[in-house]
Amino acid sequence: MSEEINEKLLREIIRQVITETKATDKKVDFNGNQASSSAATATATKRAPGTDAPLQLDWFKHVGPAKKGTSTDEVVVAVLPGFAEHMTENLKGIKHKDILREVTAGIEEQGLKARVIKVYRTADVSFAGSEGDQYSGSGVSVAIQSKGTSIIHQKDLEPLSNLELFPQAPVIDLKTYRAIGANAARYAKGESPTPVPTVNDQMARVKYQAKSALMHIKETKYVVTGKGPDEIEVNFD
Amino acid sequence: MKRQKRFEELEKRPVHEDGFVDEWPEEGFVAMDGPYDPKPSVKIENGEIVELDGKKKEDFDLIDVFIAKHAINLDTTEKVLAMDSQKIANMLCDPNVTRDKIIPITTGFTPAKAAEVISQLNFVEMMMATQKMRPRKTPATQGHVTNIRDNPVLIAADAADAALRGFPEQETTTAVARYAPMNAISIMVGAQTGRPGVLTQCSVEEAEELSLGMRGFTAYAETISVYGTEQVFTDGDDTPWSKGFLASCYASRGLKMRFTSGSGSEVMMGYAEKKSMLYLEARCIFITKGCGVQGLQNGAVSCIGIPGAVPSGIREVLGENLLCMAMDIECASGNDQAFSHSDIRRTERLLGQFLAGTDYISSGYSSVPNYDNTFAGSNMDATDYDDYYAMQRDLKVNGGLVPVKEADIIKARNKAAKALQAVFKSLDLPEITDEEVEAATYAFTSKDMPERNMVEDMKAAQDLMDRGVTGVDVIKGLYAGGFTDVAQAVLNLLQQRIAGDFLQTSAIFDKDWNVISAVNNTNDYNGPGTGYHIDDELWEKIKDVPMAINPADV
Amino acid sequence: MTEINDLISKIVNNVQEEQANSSSSTNTATASPQSAPTSGKTMTQADYPFFQKHPDLVNAPTGKNVKDVTLEAAINGDVKPEDLRISPATLKAQGQIAASAGRASIQSNFDRAAELTKIPDERVLEMYGSLRPYRSSKQELIDMAEELENKYGAKICGAFVREAADEYEKRKKLKGDN
Repeated sequence: MSEEINEKLLREIIRQVITETKATDKKVDFNGNQASSSAATATATKRAPGTDAPLQLDWFKHVGPAKKGTSTDEVVVAVLPGFAEHMTENLKGIKHKDILREVTAGIEEQGLKARVIKVYRTADVSFAGSEGDQYSGSGVSVAIQSKGTSIIHQKDLEPLSNLELFPQAPVIDLKTYRAIGANAARYAKGESPTPVPTVNDQMARVKYQAKSALMHIKETKYVVTGKGPDEIEVNFD
Repeated sequence: MKRQKRFEELEKRPVHEDGFVDEWPEEGFVAMDGPYDPKPSVKIENGEIVELDGKKKEDFDLIDVFIAKHAINLDTTEKVLAMDSQKIANMLCDPNVTRDKIIPITTGFTPAKAAEVISQLNFVEMMMATQKMRPRKTPATQGHVTNIRDNPVLIAADAADAALRGFPEQETTTAVARYAPMNAISIMVGAQTGRPGVLTQCSVEEAEELSLGMRGFTAYAETISVYGTEQVFTDGDDTPWSKGFLASCYASRGLKMRFTSGSGSEVMMGYAEKKSMLYLEARCIFITKGCGVQGLQNGAVSCIGIPGAVPSGIREVLGENLLCMAMDIECASGNDQAFSHSDIRRTERLLGQFLAGTDYISSGYSSVPNYDNTFAGSNMDATDYDDYYAMQRDLKVNGGLVPVKEADIIKARNKAAKALQAVFKSLDLPEITDEEVEAATYAFTSKDMPERNMVEDMKAAQDLMDRGVTGVDVIKGLYAGGFTDVAQAVLNLLQQRIAGDFLQTSAIFDKDWNVISAVNNTNDYNGPGTGYHIDDELWEKIKDVPMAINPADV
Repeated sequence: MTEINDLISKIVNNVQEEQANSSSSTNTATASPQSAPTSGKTMTQADYPFFQKHPDLVNAPTGKNVKDVTLEAAINGDVKPEDLRISPATLKAQGQIAASAGRASIQSNFDRAAELTKIPDERVLEMYGSLRPYRSSKQELIDMAEELENKYGAKICGAFVREAADEYEKRKKLKGDN
């Protein structure tokens, strides 16, 4: 059962999100993974949905509001509100840290700079990509949802259009995340790379759709209307 | 615990790989009769709705406002709301009450009343009602034609194949968005080669999709999504007004269109506002009505995993299809996404729509193997054809498809690939080689196709748009390549936009370009011996499955 | 579907009717489909399919009749993309057919569509974009409504956009509201 929708896990997620929605003081631990969430402090006060304290991470630090880039040799990686700090793994259990490491490495191996921002306005991957474009000096961005769905976006496109879209999070492995970063960098350089090969697993949706919905619902809890993105300093060492 | 061996065996069954979730109404994980669903109500003052389903005018969100202003019949709604919901439900499944007696009632519904009436029906009663309420008397089904490499030659061959098997509407999309114009041309040329009269579309971002239609590369559009909560609607980058405007844009260019909605989408997108799937879907159907759009693709569609995971979810899916048709709107009824690991559940998913018949039983039967389905896989695919034919034959049901002869398919696939080769040559697009034509003729999936230079293809696709190529140029290319009949078919298709007959509800064409719609093929079911029946000619075809043994040969 | 819209729609229909048909006979209702089609009459279900019943009325906005859109003409370059479009008069006729089949809301869509036939493709696409959430200020939407009304005579669409502008303001869907 480990690969499939795990009913126990689902129940746990549901229970936790309910707890959260009911604004109790219980610590939210999305994955039941005690080790990775040791920094999350259980606060004693009642809070509104989605206001559990973000994990304090040494590899993922906020360094103020994001600035609009001017150098054309950068690609912005826009992560969504719950990423890393409220959820730590994608739908398939790949660590957010590893995902971000691979995407930025993919950009850097093409000789470009990767700049990470966290968006708050939306939980939608396409809109996050569209916002990322505006901050990217090259006009190209990669957006990544907590559940792992990713997009390569460019600034003159409609928000819901894309250069490349990877809608099926369960079939994206780390190698693919790296290739997504590399292709984004090549678009930024004005090249026309061959798109990252699409993998199709028609049963992935069946297995993961409910869990995907639950993760997305959780992501929406951290959306802050009107709030601009934060600049993120990442350190993978 | 010591395991009981039968339980251990059961856990190995495919159904155990499916996702099942308990109800969770706070986040919309409830199919119908949600504990937070509003009770039906309507109040009219000075010709304006001031209360709708328990909500006062000052509390209306965008969707409430739009529905109140555009989607409710002010003359009848108070009377209809005073009627007993169970009585209306009874009329819906009673064969003695004809469709034309029911439409004036259903069009006086509010969304909550609609959900309440549908909730009275069990699954079989819903099927009874569907058989009668389907707007077009003749049922049909729609096919997906895609491949994961966006290989244009294979799209053309597969479209011809699907046309021969009986799909009157075919839908493609892209693995990579920039391929859109090329895929649109490929499916159009392929489909018209297989059987003149087939309508084709290419599902991409809304503005781009309209632009393809304006150029004459597509004949209709379907993925114009609407949602049941304001937040999700906005996340979908539209409002009821922008979608209403877009609907009129399509009609103004003589293009058929229907909206798309479907239960589960609000849950998937995170803002279900504690409402049941059926109630939210009812709001989508009302938005469709208010926009004056002739049709809707619904039935959970790509979010089938959500209703499919909760109790009574598949009943709810048929319920939302039924509501769409009962409100006099063309229904393309889902069955278009991989739904279950279990073949038994896949069949269960299909049966309601298949047996009762809808305008399009599937809004995307995968005419290609699911491996190549870039809509992420359908409930039924090309490898299920013979099972589907057997079901039609066993039950004497028109599921919209007909058995075909292998030799005929080979011929049609080959001709379509060659026709597209001619078009590419004349439009100066990257060459289609004879080797590719041969491969596409006999291919199972895109694995059987020689590699194409995707970067060159994408540049050419962009160039097509920049050069202002139109459907007329495609006709010229076909003619220059000697494909006069296909050129004529594409011309006929473009002619239809001048006349607009296929903008009417539930319109499709036969091979001679006769339009068949709810206007001239009205569903007149009134009990046994009435309504749709399979004629002798079609029955001969359905009976003739490839597996059948002729006793004379034994 | 509000009364005002209906009224506007009626007036616009009448005007378009006059423009589309120099001879404006006003015999309403049901001439048999076989009778010589009088272009001013109100179409019904009996006039459907319009292409088969009234081929002489199926004209592109350029005036080209559908029967002149032949393969030979297309090959010879005598069919322009504009010759393959639907005219306001045809949309009006299809709207009447829809209404006679009991689908008044479809008629209201076709009435808006009839107005939009006059607007170039690029501008129509831009207008759709401007109506999407968070794209336009209220003033920009009002300007667009005025353009629709004054430049293209699109009164129904203009009113529709004004209504959107008001509701977007109330529900915070204007530029900068996200």
